[in-house]
Amino acid sequence: MHRPSADEFLLTLLESLEDLPPDLAQRFAELLKKDHVDRSAAIRQLFEDAGGE
Amino acid sequence: MNEKLQRLVMHAFRGIPNEMTFDFGTGESTVVYGDNGTGKSTIADALEWYFTGEIEMLSHEGRQHAVRYVGADSDGTTSVEVLTSGALGGKVVFPDERPPDMFHALRRETFLLRGRTLADFVNKTKTEKWKALVEILGLDAIESLREDLQRARNDLRKTTKTAEEEVRVYRRALSAGIDTVTEEAVVANLRQICGMLGVDPPHSLDQVVDPSWITTAVGASAGVSASSDRENLGADINALGAPAFDQKAFAAWNELVSSNRARQLPRASLVREAKRLVETQSIEAGRCPLCGQKVDQKVLARKIESALVEMMEAARDLERFRDPIIEEADGLESAHELRQAIHDRARELQLELPPVPAQPDARVRDQLEALAPVAIDTIASYLADLRRWDKAAAKLGRQISPATDSTRDSQLMMLAALCQQINAWQRAEKKHADARRALALAETVFDAYQLKQKEDLGHLLEEISGRVAKIYTALHPGEDLDAVSIEPWTAKGVELAINFFGSRQRPPHGVLSESHLNSLAIALFLAMAASFNEQLGFLILDDVINSFDVEHRGRLAELLADGFSDWQLIVLTHDQQFFEHLSRRAPSWRKIEFTSWSHASGPRTTKYEASGMLAAARERLQSDDVQGAATKGRRALEELLQEVCEALWAPLPFRRGQANDKREIGELFMGLRRALKEHAKSQLPTVEPIVKHLEADVGATLNVAAHASRGRSGAGEVKSALERIEALDALWSCPACRTRVWHKGTPDAARCRCGKSAFPPVVAG
Repeated sequence: MHRPSADEFLLTLLESLEDLPPDLAQRFAELLKKDHVDRSAAIRQLFEDAGGE
Repeated sequence: MNEKLQRLVMHAFRGIPNEMTFDFGTGESTVVYGDNGTGKSTIADALEWYFTGEIEMLSHEGRQHAVRYVGADSDGTTSVEVLTSGALGGKVVFPDERPPDMFHALRRETFLLRGRTLADFVNKTKTEKWKALVEILGLDAIESLREDLQRARNDLRKTTKTAEEEVRVYRRALSAGIDTVTEEAVVANLRQICGMLGVDPPHSLDQVVDPSWITTAVGASAGVSASSDRENLGADINALGAPAFDQKAFAAWNELVSSNRARQLPRASLVREAKRLVETQSIEAGRCPLCGQKVDQKVLARKIESALVEMMEAARDLERFRDPIIEEADGLESAHELRQAIHDRARELQLELPPVPAQPDARVRDQLEALAPVAIDTIASYLADLRRWDKAAAKLGRQISPATDSTRDSQLMMLAALCQQINAWQRAEKKHADARRALALAETVFDAYQLKQKEDLGHLLEEISGRVAKIYTALHPGEDLDAVSIEPWTAKGVELAINFFGSRQRPPHGVLSESHLNSLAIALFLAMAASFNEQLGFLILDDVINSFDVEHRGRLAELLADGFSDWQLIVLTHDQQFFEHLSRRAPSWRKIEFTSWSHASGPRTTKYEASGMLAAARERLQSDDVQGAATKGRRALEELLQEVCEALWAPLPFRRGQANDKREIGELFMGLRRALKEHAKSQLPTVEPIVKHLEADVGATLNVAAHASRGRSGAGEVKSALERIEALDALWSCPACRTRVWHKGTPDAARCRCGKSAFPPVVAG
């Protein structure tokens, strides 16, 4: 049985959701690639940036 | 294709003083039989150590040294070498310095089930089962990302709330003369004021927030700005409102954390450990694992279980009460920050305000974290201080408010201040709108993530449950105990369930016997491996049938032989019936019998190793280790004589138990001569000269103690002795195919694979 990684799990989900900013999945993909970051703070910033546009 | 084991080599490891090798061919299944204490579990230990980096039983403090053979030389090496059908093989040397993250993926694989920890998973609490599943299913990383999404969402909730409060303050300040503060109402009000003052009214709010409009229309000067700041401050002070304080919510929290069940929460890990100790019988039976007093084992187990259930319920209630209090705490913090900002602005304008009362020392959040009661009186007292401060601030607010009999200039200044306030309000509205959009996005993603996680887990559990039920029913057909499944239990728990004569039982412990629970554990183990193993294609079952009766041992043997023929199974057992049943049911499996264990030479099996030891002796001779070569040569000769004596039914004095493995070499020579005299007298003259030479070798060349004293001078003699051992060995091998297959106890005991040779032994030209 295939066990998806966390990144794969989230990105698949984002692609299936409607009415999201078009590049949200792409932004998450870039964020999840980064090591040694405060991930929750980075995610919050991503939502703020996407929500403010 | 998942990897299978081909060879395992252990050196000075656990119960093996020197070296021991197991050959699994190209990955064949193997059943290993041996009495207790003969060393068969060393195979499981070695594979557990190699593939997980630890031996669970030795993972507790002070036991790690036992990975190494206790009597090993201080300069000797302890190692385990594994050859697999893929890339997972290799060699590990003690102390193991491989980094823990190396095992991250392999720890998700299921490959080892032991009798003593058989029911560990079945007996875990719902939360512990969830955690174990999360690791096996690889959901830990997904769960960690969910937690980060949740943290981001919670932060955005707080930001949005603060922004909302800011907007509320500005709206309250702008609400004088306006029923509802909307953009239209504010512009209409402004137009009315402009009309009264003879100033061109603005067309829209955008125009109002443009500083050039204010300058042009109002003709404000630098003095206006200073006055406006004071007036803005006055307006903000006037808009201050008391923070909300729901005393009932705090009282409910305090009552819960002060209750006996909540006080037990910090002891949860201790109670779980006690449960594990009781269940694994790692403690003296009949004694409490915590205090050592005598107790009834069943009563103790029930008490521990009941304590764990109570703790879980208390933990759930705590979460329910915690959220509203966190909101209250946010409100208190916002109120403090707002007043501090007003205080700072007043100081910049050289206006006097008393210091803002300090928040209570024991911050509400700290108390929540520590599961401690919140000091309600302290908060009430703090709020009273805040109200006194608000009164002092209100007094200042009145002082800096413009006089009622203002002149046109002061009215213009008020207009300018109003415009600035509108500007600030608009900024706050935008900030609030941005925060709300970000929060809405975060809520959408988080909710969908959590829902998908739940749905995916449901599918996973359904699939595992299907497999578990199938295996369990194969072990217990027609018993009206069916529909075994793993079911979700709240957000972070899973539990096993079963139909018991039509009634659903969750957990099933109350209605299942020990052997049924063990069957359930075996079914779970096999189902997990079949569902999720991605790298390992072998399974080890170490003494797992102790609680099974003959019928169920038979069913398990059939299930393993027929239902898991694609897997490489390594079954270790001390039960001879199970061993024989499995051997008959799965004739293609390899069979190994452990016969004894000794401190000096470690485990012995029914497999003789003469040729391997001869090869090792030759290697040592080549590297000038004459003493090592002599030692190996003597062991090779012992192995060979034991093998031949056993195969020919050599008449030897009866020995009790394992003493047969420890016969003197002289006895073996005697046994060989007698066997030849009885069954092959004509061959005796050919064999006798070699035997005589070897007897002399044993007394001199292969006498290790004597040899050590002579240093390296006997290399040639050792070489000759090894050649003679080879010659004796060759007597029982077919010259054509170089193999022999013993048929113990029959007159034609020696045979070979090509069938050309037979007993009496073939004598070389």
